[in-house]
Amino acid sequence: MAEQASETPTKDPLEPVPLIEGAQSAESLTASLLRPIERKPGLIFWALLLLTLGGTGLFLLAVTVTLVRGIGAWGNNIPVAWAFGIIDFVWWIGFGHAGTLISAILVLFQQKWRASVNRFAEAMTLFAVIQAALFPALHMGRPWVAYWLVPYPNTMRIWPNFRSSLPWDMVAITTYFTVSLLFWYLGLLPDLAAARDRATTPRRQFWYGVFSLGWTGSARHWHHWRAGYLLLAGLATPLVLSVHTIVSFDFAIAQVPGWHSTIFPPYFVAGAIFSGLALVLTLLLPVRGSLGLNHVITDRHVDILCKLLLVTGMMVSYGYLQEHFFAWYSGDEYEMASYADKRTGTWAWLFWFQMFSNVLLPHVFWFEKARKNLVVVWFAALAVDVGMWVERFTIIVPSLAHDFLPRSWEGYSPTWVDLSLLGGSMCFFGLLFLLFLKFIPSVSITEVKELHHELKEELAAKEERERTESPLREKEA
Amino acid sequence: MRYWVVGEFGSGAEAKKALGRLRELGHAREKLDAFTPYPVEGMDEVLGLKPSPIRGFAFVAGLSGAALGYAVQWWTNAVDWPLNVGNRPLNAGPAFIPITFETMVLFAALTIFFGLMWLFRFPRPHHPLFELETFRTASTGGFWVSVTTERREETEALLSALRELKARNTSVVEEAQ
Repeated sequence: MAEQASETPTKDPLEPVPLIEGAQSAESLTASLLRPIERKPGLIFWALLLLTLGGTGLFLLAVTVTLVRGIGAWGNNIPVAWAFGIIDFVWWIGFGHAGTLISAILVLFQQKWRASVNRFAEAMTLFAVIQAALFPALHMGRPWVAYWLVPYPNTMRIWPNFRSSLPWDMVAITTYFTVSLLFWYLGLLPDLAAARDRATTPRRQFWYGVFSLGWTGSARHWHHWRAGYLLLAGLATPLVLSVHTIVSFDFAIAQVPGWHSTIFPPYFVAGAIFSGLALVLTLLLPVRGSLGLNHVITDRHVDILCKLLLVTGMMVSYGYLQEHFFAWYSGDEYEMASYADKRTGTWAWLFWFQMFSNVLLPHVFWFEKARKNLVVVWFAALAVDVGMWVERFTIIVPSLAHDFLPRSWEGYSPTWVDLSLLGGSMCFFGLLFLLFLKFIPSVSITEVKELHHELKEELAAKEERERTESPLREKEA
Repeated sequence: MRYWVVGEFGSGAEAKKALGRLRELGHAREKLDAFTPYPVEGMDEVLGLKPSPIRGFAFVAGLSGAALGYAVQWWTNAVDWPLNVGNRPLNAGPAFIPITFETMVLFAALTIFFGLMWLFRFPRPHHPLFELETFRTASTGGFWVSVTTERREETEALLSALRELKARNTSVVEEAQ
């Protein structure tokens, strides 16, 4: 066929672990990457589908209870008026950020390894943002009037107050979701066309045909596509920083001790990327084997992700250090008391768990042995996922429960509705992700093929150089 | 009636060489195209494509989005319905920046996407080349070169030219107009 199967270029002594494994060709890569969506789903798929559907049912039940009974069904009280609603929101939206980091920022830096994991991470972004957006909407109590946040000429002539962080959040989330969706879909077009062209049943041919919009791979189209894709990546990069910065403003612009801090924007962004990378690892490790993607998502990818987790973990640790340092350095009694309460109060055990999972644990990745041991990697990543939820809890609940006046100090405990919304949203996320893995190529076929071609060219150029240089060297000697 | 004379090649480099040769034979650039599974480096120069106008679209849309975003906030909160909260400034520049930035990105991104759709003339689920069964490799691993012509008698010469350039598969597809 079009390209002969050839030895995959991996022979660089500086890069012993390859990005693409085995003897591959454009055809073999296309075939192997489309196999997960072409083959019949197995028993595990149906079991997981049933499980996540059940969990989504629980989620819907909890949502219904919230809507019928109101926010009183949650454990929120005064002063802890913000609890699970905003914890889950920040947690979910944080997960999305690694997707944009991997897909957009690494495009700009021309990091080749991203090709195998970007589609996966972008899908994670979309689904996480959907979960995130549900929580502020539900927290409003009357989500059916959420459109009041949008400035539209209504009969009461009332406009939103744009000096408040709620409209900022609304615009940031909708923009983030829209841009992520467009970026993802634009990258998907050539792969949907490949799925269409390899389809064996008329139904597949029809649906992939509809969604690929008539993509032919024309050089004229590629020309515009490349320019547009790069521009979207360029726009997504400051966007991702802005979204979590705006999320951090929800806290930083308030006067509450424990929230009013200038370190919040960068520290929230780092935390978001940290948790997102952890979730990528948590999902990637079980999925790549079961979908037969080990040849494109290699141990090298896991290795790089672990190193990134270590780096972002240290950024987050710096944020923790700064928070506590400034609480002390400011000399503000309320601030100091609030932070002392985090370390020693009712929720101290959560705080110390957070220190363990987010500060200490990532340091195992200094060791190559740990990065190579997938069990260690998976559990460390999972601990970070949980630890980052705990981090948002320790930012929100202890700060609110321990503000200026001892008179207003209050405890907090979640209700079953809170817990069901959290667990249910995980199942809803899982459901969306499962359907994604079933119907959409989960690795960017186009980019992997392009990478394969580039690596081959590089190797050929290197061999050519060696062939021409070695006689020269011999001559010199 | 328009005729698409196409040939499949084994790599992007071969396709580029073939296009270069067809140019030398005097075929206009507008009549030539390539269909590849991934963007081929250097293809733009061979086909003499001008820089994509999408950058300009995005720039204009981004600026308009930012201006509109700020204007809406200023007009609603400072002019049409001045909302005095603790005597804070009505036209609160710093507080308006987050939304101004977001609308800039939103407008630019939507323009890039729909601008591309317009440039591609998408959605276009039917393309004459889709009639060709072998053309399916264009998205999986084949590198196709096409020449369009209005004259039937020219197709034979084009086919032999493509075969001379070592095309593996050659075909002519008629497009009814």
